[in-house]
Order: sequence, then structure tokens, then C-alpha cells
Amino acid sequence: MSDCKRGFCTRTALAAATTLLLIPGLVLAQTPSAKTTSTPSTTSAKQDRWLHVRVISSDAKGETVRVNVPLELAEKVLPAINHDRLHGGKVKIDCAHVNDVDLRVMVDAIRTAKDGEYVTVQGTENDVRVAKQDNHLIVHVLDKGKSKRSQVEIKVPMKVVDALFSAGKDELDLVAALHALSAAGDTELVSVKDNENTVRVWLDSKNVTD
Amino acid sequence: MILLAKAALGLTGTLFVAGAYTFHEGVIRIDVDEHRAGGSHLHMWVPAAAVPMAMHLVPQKHLREAVEHSREALPIARAIVKELKKYPDVDLVEVVDGRQHVQIRTHSGKLQIDVEAPDEQVHLLVPLSTLDDVTRQLEDSAPSA
Repeated sequence: MSDCKRGFCTRTALAAATTLLLIPGLVLAQTPSAKTTSTPSTTSAKQDRWLHVRVISSDAKGETVRVNVPLELAEKVLPAINHDRLHGGKVKIDCAHVNDVDLRVMVDAIRTAKDGEYVTVQGTENDVRVAKQDNHLIVHVLDKGKSKRSQVEIKVPMKVVDALFSAGKDELDLVAALHALSAAGDTELVSVKDNENTVRVWLDSKNVTD
Repeated sequence: MILLAKAALGLTGTLFVAGAYTFHEGVIRIDVDEHRAGGSHLHMWVPAAAVPMAMHLVPQKHLREAVEHSREALPIARAIVKELKKYPDVDLVEVVDGRQHVQIRTHSGKLQIDVEAPDEQVHLLVPLSTLDDVTRQLEDSAPSA
């Protein structure tokens, strides 16, 4: 082989070798770092249902908590938790008879009843309202305490309440409730407002909070 | 000279294949900075594929002990990781408290945990596939009932 050809072959081989050596480095260099930020898509591809929790504290520190959980993930993970009263996605309750009131019978009565207000209490310290409206169970509590005025609003689709009580006696089926929730439209489930905190729990198809 | 070139090509080819295999699952990145006297500063990049391989080298006795300690948490971690793989880019938890900031998210198929506080900063980036492998291996190490 001539010197010229030999030199060319050598250079080509060395260049190829250098390129091969550099490629993993280049690939690594393109790997996003831990600090890289990205903008998550606002709507997930296959219309997943997301449960969002947001807590905003109005104190000086301005504490904010944002939690976004895919309902499907919660549905799959809950049965894996076996701790204390929670087993197989169901939670045992000893208080099915709260103050001699059978919760299951009460839920059954509400399910079959027409829309309307079931409980209205207007006191000096609290206002309480329990109602059924457009197939939703609505609970509204206004605490008029002098030191800490708070307002709680809960709006749960009746199908979810049904699913929750669909397990055996003295059990709440959380997985069934989540499954029923995934079929519900975008809705605000819980809203708590007081002097210090604002809490919101809601359901939609976005994988980010507002 | 030709022989040298061939040897170099062979060596780098082998290194490339080994490198590509080692890094195909990405890297685990751990950054810990404690801003106080005597505080530790840890910056570590580990090829993710090396972790499941390294676990094969851990004595079964120690693996079983680890499984024993995490008996309750392991199925939950396994279920979470398995499901999270379906959500490669999402913000899961964010807590802002004054000058402290905690964020847990998935980013490009990796679990990313960032903790930023005035006195310390922790950044952790682990491919979900690696977590899946590790939890699976730990479950496999559990003594059969």
C-alpha cells in the first residue's frame, strides 16, 4: 500500500474512532439536566382525568401546595396500599352508625329522593346546608366563629357517593369512587376558605394546575 | 500504522457499544449541596443501566433485608412507578414555603425531585425505567410466602 493510501486509511480510521468516542458524550450533553424546566402540556393526550389539590396560605410566608394526580394512577395505586384500615382500595369504618344514624340507609334515601334541601341549619356559630341538586350531593358549612371564619363547600356527584358506599357493610370503596369520579365532568369537589388558607380540590383533564 | 488504526477502531468501537449500552437508559443524577459549615457537597452521575446490574452483585441476604424493611412500601412504590411511566412529563407535587421550594415531577421519563432551601439544595433525577427495574428486582428477592 502506498504511503498516501496508508495515511488516508489511518486518518479515516482515527477520525471514525474519534467520532464514535464523541457520540455518547454528545448524547449525554443533550440529556436535560436536573434543573431544566419544561412546560408540561396543558391537556394530556388521551383525556386522562386529573385530580388537583391546591392549598394557598395567606400568611407572611405565602405557603402554596399544588398536587396533580392522574385518577388512573390513584385507582391503580390505592389497592396496593395495605395499611391500618385501608386494604385493597377499601377503607374500613367503624362509624357506619354515626350517632345512631345509619349512613348507608341515609345515602340510599338521598339517592332515591328528589332534588332539594335536606338539612338547613342556621345558627349563631354555624350555617349548615345539605342538598341534592342535579345529581350532586352538596354540603355547605359556614363557620361564623369570631376568631376564624371559614367556609366549606363540598360538591360530589351522586354516582361517586353510590360507588363509595357500594362495598360491604362498614366499608368505603375508594377505588370504585375514583372510578366513578373519572366518568364525571370537570367539577370542583371541595372548596375551603378561611382567614389563613384557601383549599381547592377539583377534577379536570389538564395535567397542570391553573 | 494500519494495524494501530485498526486497533484504535476496534477499541473505540467496543467502547462505543459499551457506552451506548451503559447510557441507553440515561443517567441517575444526584446533586446535594449543604450550605453550612461542614455541609456536604455531592455531585454524582451514575449510568442508570449500571444500577440493576450492580444489584445483581449485592448479596441476596442484604437484598432480603432491604425487602423486609420495605415490605409494606415496595408494592406501593412498584405500582406508582409502573403508572408514572405512562406520564413522562407532569408536575405532581409542588410546595412553596417562603424561600423553600420542593418539586416532584416526571420529566422526559425521569422522576425529578428538587428541593431548594436557603441552607441546602437537593436535585435528584432518576429514570423511571431504572426505578421499575430496581423495585422489580427487590420484589423478586422477597422470600416466597
